Amino acid sequence: MECRVLSIQSHVVRGYVGNKSATFPLQVLGFEVDSINSVQFSNHTGYAHWKGQVLTADELNVLYEGIKLNKVNHYDYILTGYSRDTSFLETVVDIIQELKKANPSLYVPENLLPVYRDKVVPLADILTPNQFEAELLTGRKVNTQEDAFEVMDLLHKMGPETVVLTSSDLPSKKGDQFLVALGSQKIVKPDGSKTSQKICMDIPKVDAVFVGTGDLFAAMLLAWTHHHPKDLKAACEKTVSVMHHVIKRTITYANEMAGPGKRPSPAQLELRMVQSKADIENPAIVVEAKVLHKSSQ
Amino acid sequence: MECRVLSIQSHVVRGYVGNKSASFPLQVLGFEVDSINSVQFSNHTGYSHWKGQVLTADELHVLYEGIKLNNVHQYDYVLTGYTRDTSFLEMVVDIVQELKRANPNLVYVCDPVLGDHGSMYVPQNLYPVYKNKVVPVADIITPNQFEADLRISLTDSLLGDRFLVSLGSQRQVRPDGSRATQRVRIEVPKVDAVFVGTGDLFAAMLLAWTHHYPNDLKMACEKTFSVMHHVIQRTISYAHELAGPGRRPSPPQLELRMVQSKADIEDPAIVTEATVIS
Repeated sequence: MECRVLSIQSHVVRGYVGNKSATFPLQVLGFEVDSINSVQFSNHTGYAHWKGQVLTADELNVLYEGIKLNKVNHYDYILTGYSRDTSFLETVVDIIQELKKANPSLYVPENLLPVYRDKVVPLADILTPNQFEAELLTGRKVNTQEDAFEVMDLLHKMGPETVVLTSSDLPSKKGDQFLVALGSQKIVKPDGSKTSQKICMDIPKVDAVFVGTGDLFAAMLLAWTHHHPKDLKAACEKTVSVMHHVIKRTITYANEMAGPGKRPSPAQLELRMVQSKADIENPAIVVEAKVLHKSSQ
Repeated sequence: MECRVLSIQSHVVRGYVGNKSASFPLQVLGFEVDSINSVQFSNHTGYSHWKGQVLTADELHVLYEGIKLNNVHQYDYVLTGYTRDTSFLEMVVDIVQELKRANPNLVYVCDPVLGDHGSMYVPQNLYPVYKNKVVPVADIITPNQFEADLRISLTDSLLGDRFLVSLGSQRQVRPDGSRATQRVRIEVPKVDAVFVGTGDLFAAMLLAWTHHYPNDLKMACEKTFSVMHHVIQRTISYAHELAGPGRRPSPPQLELRMVQSKADIEDPAIVTEATVIS
């Protein structure tokens, strides 16, 4: 497999968020990962302290220029995540547009940002908003599963063919120890008509705050939609299963480190990434995605 | 295995040098790797063009401060490589000394990158810093012949001129308390190409394999040199494929086939034997 990803995300010296969360698992799955670090911080901002430096939009441009001058600006995927700076984001958008001209089948998954719905989302092919982000982008509240489907269809109209609502507060049929995630993928039927496949997953909740899980999710959704481009059910089952294994390993270890009756600290809750290599390579499926009604667009 | 490495090296967006070369293989082998990127460049400096930014000694200190304030500055290993700046190097030494106070068992693996084949490719004023400040706090160093400052030339390989000779030396304490030095010699097949990042991969893998074989330099070297061989062979085959018959591969084509070599990194088939000398 010869697949190159350009990932523009944060770097932390210690821990697993941004590029640290996305790079190793993608490399373990055989993807070449070129990574531009949008910041370099000691650790994520959930710790008591954090220190470091940020990359400016100009510096981002300079790095991209270097790649371009060597004529190695050919990518199959772009992956971007958390960003606080609008001028930085505008530069990211320009880079993506240029790369898409060079490679029209370039895939751009993107963690949602409330800003730039007019520029970023239209460029995205795969979108991984949570419920809050999906509501912000579309201006619609989600109270029921039907609302969620409407919102995902609106997001499709804005650009991305694949939308995964990574979490919601919709009630799960399995009870309150589960959260509901939904996915929607636009597909073209053999007769040429367009439709969308919608799936639903009940994901076991874990009582802790994890950081970097969204970045890992987006990276793994990239990987598994690459292997299952027309089967959102399979791609989501693999992705959510990897998340489950990494999270379970992490919470077990964190509770061990913290000791009985104590809440683990952010440092203790860092994802057990390298320890999860086998699960990343070949995730045992632990969540079943249900295919829901297919609707015509 | 719960082993944490602090690696202070370059980052390149594309390719495998510095932290890009060291992190993935160490992580694949189960090491936690905290990485401080001393620079961020588009690619290594062997390409036609390269662009990016460098970290100052102050910025390095700030990052380390962040780790320290959170009380997570406990490391089993520190790994450093190519540096161009004396004040940066001096800051690295300060950090290593402080980390060693926090963990006296810390092992500092240092590649004293100064130059090769008779000439320096870093500023001259780094040499005294390495000699007087860095090497004294290092536990493992991986110089090439030039960096080790040998006045005599090494003997030729017994296997002919398609091989180069590598030597290793480890000071050990025997069970009875007496000291010994184990010396090993490895004949390494030459490959006719210029690779970049191989020294960084070598230092990282020597860290990993001396961790698993702390008193057996022969074994650690055999594993390390074998990994290098597999990665390099895979790389040169691929590079020639891309370049086409009769053409010399370009720097981008010669980037190490790192992710493709995951299985060899995890469990290297031994392809070279180290001879124990005295």
